[in-house]
Amino acid sequence: MRSISPIDIAGGIVLVAILALAPMLVASNYLTGVLTVCAIYGIWASSWDFMSGLTGRENFGHSLFIGAGAYTAGFLSNIWSTSPWISLPLGVVIAIAFSLLVGFPTLRLRGPYFALAMLSASAILQRLCLIFWEYTGGEEGLYGLDPLIKSPLHYYWFVLGILVVTVIVLTLLAQSHWGLLLRAIRGDEATCQAAGINVTFYKIASLMISAGFAGLGGALYAHYQLQVSPPLFSVVVSITVIIMVYVGGIGSIYGAAVAAILLTLLTEMLRGFGEYRLWIYTLTLMLILFFLPNGLIAPLWRRMTERLR
Amino acid sequence: MLQILIYGAVSSAIYAMLAVGFTLIFGVARILNLAHGSFYALGAYAAYVLTSLLGVPLFLAAPIAVLLVAGFGVVMERFLVRSLRASQLAVLMITLAVSLAVEQALFITFGSEYRNVPSFVADKLSIGGVDISGQRLLALVAGVLVLLLLWLFIQRTRLGAAILAVSQDPEAAQYMGIPTNRIFSIVMAISAGTAALAGVLVSPFLTVQPTMGLLPMVKAFAIVIVGGLGSIPGSIIASLILGYSETMVAYLISSSWTELVSLVAVVITLMIRPSGILGRRAAF
Amino acid sequence: MTVLLEVDGVTKRFGGLTAVKNATFTLQKGEFTGILGPNGAGKTTLFNILTGFMQPTSGTIRFNGEPVRELAPYKVVNRGMARTFQLTRPFLGMNLLENVLVACMSPRASEDKDKEARASYLLGQVGLGGRDKEPVETLPYGDLRRLEIARALATRPDLLLLDEPFAGLGSGEIEQLAQLIRRLHREENLTILLIEHKLREFMALVSRVIAMNFGEIIAVGPPEEIVKNPKVIEAYIGKTEAEHASA
Repeated sequence: MRSISPIDIAGGIVLVAILALAPMLVASNYLTGVLTVCAIYGIWASSWDFMSGLTGRENFGHSLFIGAGAYTAGFLSNIWSTSPWISLPLGVVIAIAFSLLVGFPTLRLRGPYFALAMLSASAILQRLCLIFWEYTGGEEGLYGLDPLIKSPLHYYWFVLGILVVTVIVLTLLAQSHWGLLLRAIRGDEATCQAAGINVTFYKIASLMISAGFAGLGGALYAHYQLQVSPPLFSVVVSITVIIMVYVGGIGSIYGAAVAAILLTLLTEMLRGFGEYRLWIYTLTLMLILFFLPNGLIAPLWRRMTERLR
Repeated sequence: MLQILIYGAVSSAIYAMLAVGFTLIFGVARILNLAHGSFYALGAYAAYVLTSLLGVPLFLAAPIAVLLVAGFGVVMERFLVRSLRASQLAVLMITLAVSLAVEQALFITFGSEYRNVPSFVADKLSIGGVDISGQRLLALVAGVLVLLLLWLFIQRTRLGAAILAVSQDPEAAQYMGIPTNRIFSIVMAISAGTAALAGVLVSPFLTVQPTMGLLPMVKAFAIVIVGGLGSIPGSIIASLILGYSETMVAYLISSSWTELVSLVAVVITLMIRPSGILGRRAAF
Repeated sequence: MTVLLEVDGVTKRFGGLTAVKNATFTLQKGEFTGILGPNGAGKTTLFNILTGFMQPTSGTIRFNGEPVRELAPYKVVNRGMARTFQLTRPFLGMNLLENVLVACMSPRASEDKDKEARASYLLGQVGLGGRDKEPVETLPYGDLRRLEIARALATRPDLLLLDEPFAGLGSGEIEQLAQLIRRLHREENLTILLIEHKLREFMALVSRVIAMNFGEIIAVGPPEEIVKNPKVIEAYIGKTEAEHASA
């Protein structure tokens, strides 16, 4: 379960190849756009999985970091007219700053309370965006951002590349001794203390890493949509990400990314259902919680490739 | 000043009804029910459907709405929550999912325009020179009555004693022959019922739209955290604190800041004193 | 002989209950000391205080000459005081090697560059060699105790605190575990403080006994003397028997 075999790498390469080539086979800007969003959700989902999936500290406010990265891009582009390429590193930095601000006081709380504290934090940010509408554009937000790369296809490949890097980095971290410590923290914090481990440090560090990648995704999203608005901070975004990780298989990282891509594609295909979409999402969550608590994607992949390992 | 006093009281009473239901189901069954706001919204919509679409007279529509939503709560607890009770996080997620699903369902069925529910009491009253609608006053009075009745019920009846027993130790209560599962259902019915009643009472003067349950849910949650999870007196104290803080903020600063009050209260409480004012169990 | 641990006037009050009252003793380097006492005597509370899991109401604790009272548990471990728990709590979902590996990640163990090798070696030291990949869920009680010890050893402690390691074990397992502990004391130059209330094994292991009752230390001395001490006998058996013994 915790080793990466050549078959996993092969599977990954095949999947990335398919994703990269798809918009060339079906030459359509629409598909390219959808796949870009798929990849961004993949970044958000795998970043959530790294922290919450490994430590078991479920963060119900991931949208806080997503929105932070996105609005940083929005401010930089619109108000300070900087080059869009600065949005990426700065989005990461701001998201990490938020994780420190909120993480320190909340990470010592037990599971459900940490979850709800993070939820409240993201709700506060959403509210603040509306209250200070003179600076943030209020309900409509900021629009007219500069794109990062003009060609949709090239931007998509860029985002896809970042997704691949994200999954690789997070997976390597999860497989390393670091990941072992995070899993141990999930197991029993007191025993970790008795083993000489500074639990708080690792919890905060993993939250920071999770936040950084989420913020990066947020900035990428801002430069794709070319606008940012308060719903980015909403609980709907947070819970969508969580559903994706649950479908993918908590703790697997790659499962979260794959599930994110598939579910986003599915949502697009269900566009005709309009308002029923969120409903289908929540029903999916309920089904997964009851019947497939270990997720769908990762266990399925492991079962399919059992004989080849 | 008197205006703040009275309007603050109305807010506090409504919040108290919501908060007490929320803290009750947590105190007894350890269920953090994020769908609590949905009960409130469903109560309001049920009142709307019964009065405006089905022509049922108001004094009948109210209890019917409350009973319907209480039933919904019981069904939700029985089939969706009970099997997941072992994990508080799973319960959080499933109830959050239910609340989103209900919100979507309401949106699909009724659309996003505000709906109108006629008032129970149409007159305006004047207290000490402050105008207040009869409906708001009714909400205040009904809220206080309901809380009083609930308090008496828990303290004075056998069923109430059974509920207290289950909240202290479900296993021990079971060994004593108390049917804990049935108690959970009863408490859930009370919890959902009070939330629905709050929804019914405010529907004439607050906007009835699909997302109406979200903010009250956040506030109820804030109150319960500040007052201490599982403590009814704590919830009442915190309702007063939050109800009045919001009213003062609305008058002195601006009404768009009011939501922040509860959210900030939650974060501060969790940071400084996670068990709340009168809570028994700490959050860590 | 150097003094490793100095405990002075440590008291712990929980509201109206005094769990530990004025505990004062020292441990010399290399000693094998035991804390004896009936249930509720305050032994585990004392352990929790020494290792930072609880704060004392008053008193001082010096380890290797440095005060350790305000430190978080993981910091105490990194100063060189390791402990095992009465109710072993291994990391579920991991195998034996990984369970020990976690402790090898502590700052105190940072000189060990090849952590897997060290973890594997430690498993061998406690008699669990060759079973690195076994999932921890399948382990019987006695082996879980050994695992606890391996994990404690991973942090290269100067002082090892063992909290009722023999609880729940059969006599054969007790003997084997006792042998292991004795061997570790000799070979690894460990100072050991042991809580136990199984008298026979206890007396055969330790060279000095601290007897506690109702939170107070009632007697300190070698095992042979402690067994005859009337206060100790009274604590375990009752007043009239104690009078018999000294008559």
